[in-house]
Amino acid sequence: MSRPVAALLVLVCLAVLAAVPLFGSGYIVYIANLLLVFVVLCLGLHIVIGETGQFALAHAAFYGIGIYTAALVGNAYALPFPLPVLAGGLVAGVIGVVLGAAALRMRDIYLALATFAFGEAMQWVFLNWTVVTGGPNGLSISPATFFGIAIVNDKEAYPFVAALAVLMAAVTLVISRSRLGRSFRAVRDSEIAAMAMGVPVRRTKVTAFALSAVLAGVAGGMFATFSTFIHPDSLGFQTTILVLTMIVVGGLGSIFGAVSGAIFFGLVSELLRQAPQFQEIIYGLILMVFMMYAPRGLFAAAAAKLGGNRHG
Amino acid sequence: MSKWNAIVVGALASLALATGPAMAQDPGVTDTSVKIGIFAPLSGPAMAYGFDVVNAAKMYYDKVNADGGINGRKIEYTVEDTRCNANDLVAAVKKLVEQDNVFLLNGGSCSAATMAAKDYVVRNKIPMLMLNASGDGALYPPTDYIYGAFSISQHAAGGSVIQFAAEQLKAKKIAYVNHDDAYGSWNLEAAKFMAEKTGTELAVESINPTITDVTAPMLKLKAANPDALVLLTYARPAALIIKKARELGFDKPIVLTVTGTANLGQLVDNVGGPDALKNFYTQEVLADVPGGPKLQWVYDMYKKAYPELAAKPDHPQAYMPYGVASAMTVVEALKAAGKDLTREKVVEVLKTLKVDTKVMAGPIEFGPTDRAGQESTIYMKFDGKTTTRIPGVYTNLWQYKG
Repeated sequence: MSRPVAALLVLVCLAVLAAVPLFGSGYIVYIANLLLVFVVLCLGLHIVIGETGQFALAHAAFYGIGIYTAALVGNAYALPFPLPVLAGGLVAGVIGVVLGAAALRMRDIYLALATFAFGEAMQWVFLNWTVVTGGPNGLSISPATFFGIAIVNDKEAYPFVAALAVLMAAVTLVISRSRLGRSFRAVRDSEIAAMAMGVPVRRTKVTAFALSAVLAGVAGGMFATFSTFIHPDSLGFQTTILVLTMIVVGGLGSIFGAVSGAIFFGLVSELLRQAPQFQEIIYGLILMVFMMYAPRGLFAAAAAKLGGNRHG
Repeated sequence: MSKWNAIVVGALASLALATGPAMAQDPGVTDTSVKIGIFAPLSGPAMAYGFDVVNAAKMYYDKVNADGGINGRKIEYTVEDTRCNANDLVAAVKKLVEQDNVFLLNGGSCSAATMAAKDYVVRNKIPMLMLNASGDGALYPPTDYIYGAFSISQHAAGGSVIQFAAEQLKAKKIAYVNHDDAYGSWNLEAAKFMAEKTGTELAVESINPTITDVTAPMLKLKAANPDALVLLTYARPAALIIKKARELGFDKPIVLTVTGTANLGQLVDNVGGPDALKNFYTQEVLADVPGGPKLQWVYDMYKKAYPELAAKPDHPQAYMPYGVASAMTVVEALKAAGKDLTREKVVEVLKTLKVDTKVMAGPIEFGPTDRAGQESTIYMKFDGKTTTRIPGVYTNLWQYKG
């Protein structure tokens, strides 16, 4: 994407972000908060799948780890925002390193199955570690605090959630354009060629897993900032598939695609609630149309038309 | 006071008097209407839990409107889909409250998802009456604003089935199969209480709802040599267990609670025919067997309201009548709150409301610490073909202690 167009798009996005709480009801702001959480989730999955080509399917698990960690830290110590969010990101990141190291020898479908199994195992942990997670009764999340002031509704939480989403998008963009980002893409395109060029493949893969998990954990922390309750039912494989669908529809390998896919699909999903009888059909049709006419993602195609590259 | 000061004070006082009542009025209420927000799963795999329950609530509200409304007000309702998912349910609730400005909420068919709305509803002081969610996690500890279990609370389902097995089936040792989820933890709590009260012993197996092989838990339970087997599982695991019980030669009574009885015809097919149901009982929370004479008026109302739907196979869906019980309670609470309607008046009424719906096995009844409306069950003997009512109503004795 050319610089002036990209700058204009960023400005428009920031203006829209700033305008949401001014003109939207609490419901609209809640949806905006949720969309921003999915934006960060998509950025995380974009790093590991879109940039590095590692087909990992444990994103909902890291998201859950982030939510539970942030919620437990917030509930127990009433730490000010953003410390619980940071804790969520760090704990998810550490577990991401462990999973990444364990999955080093795996590729393609085997990696997908192994990470899927990890996701299922984590959901079982959320459901059965009752003393910590509340198990099947779910966990109530105390309001986040900022300088001693409780954040008790969506409008109050929105500036923090929006700031974090912008920060995470900026971090992802910086990483993508750095040497590390180039290493990610080298591993994605050919591990052997990357190794021949001196790219430390194993370390690059583990780093991608860790960064992806950190972003998912931060997304979980963001969710805990405005939500009051979490239940393991919300952290199953369907959540991973939803995020995967978002980055595929947006455009695999493109940050702009990941962000746009999250917002587009999130909005479509919410709008389709108004047509319960037809929503599955419409949902399926949208996916089919995307796969037939924009297999690389509609937004990535649009970005390319505007004169872009694959990682902007 | 100078003349001008008097004029200003008088004007301000008049303005305050003129605007006072309007400012005090809660959202969703006018002199001629009261707005209710209905929410339930209307799409996706859990649609059967909500679709016809919502239809039942709507038809009852329409009937009340046709009869003249409540205290001169007609009921308006807005319906939102929750997909049985926590995020979508919270979005639906927030849309109903903040965008559609409803007076009260009447919704929730999936307990886990419904719990997600609890803090928001309580913080914003909006009365919420569930549809058919058992919702125990949102009902205990009790709050002023959330009322549920119009079908039955899971605590009551667990407590009353133990009472039935002990008193009717004379069981001294009861094999108890529940799920390792929220439902399971709730019903087991009351079952243990009731086992202690009736002097019975429980052998408990908590299984995952997605279990595909029930050999291990069934062998364990058979080895415990129980006098009866009670199942508080969903329909699919229940069918697997009943089938396995027959394979293992287990001939003691089996009781299936309401969580697994949505389609008994399907159950007969799934267990391999009536032979597996020779000593089999089902729990019911309605006043009669579905389609029975005591409930005929509900089914007639449905046919009249939705002739096209009623002509379709499997309609009305099994849980349909629960929507009438919930809507009827909403209507009775609004009636009792009087002409000068406020949310606080409604919750004050609800705290001690008792409504005999003639739809459920027992009355809908709330108390100072009791937010679970329906706590009674009846039992049927089902041999795969015919259903025979067992006399008596078994009512939950477990109470929330804090």
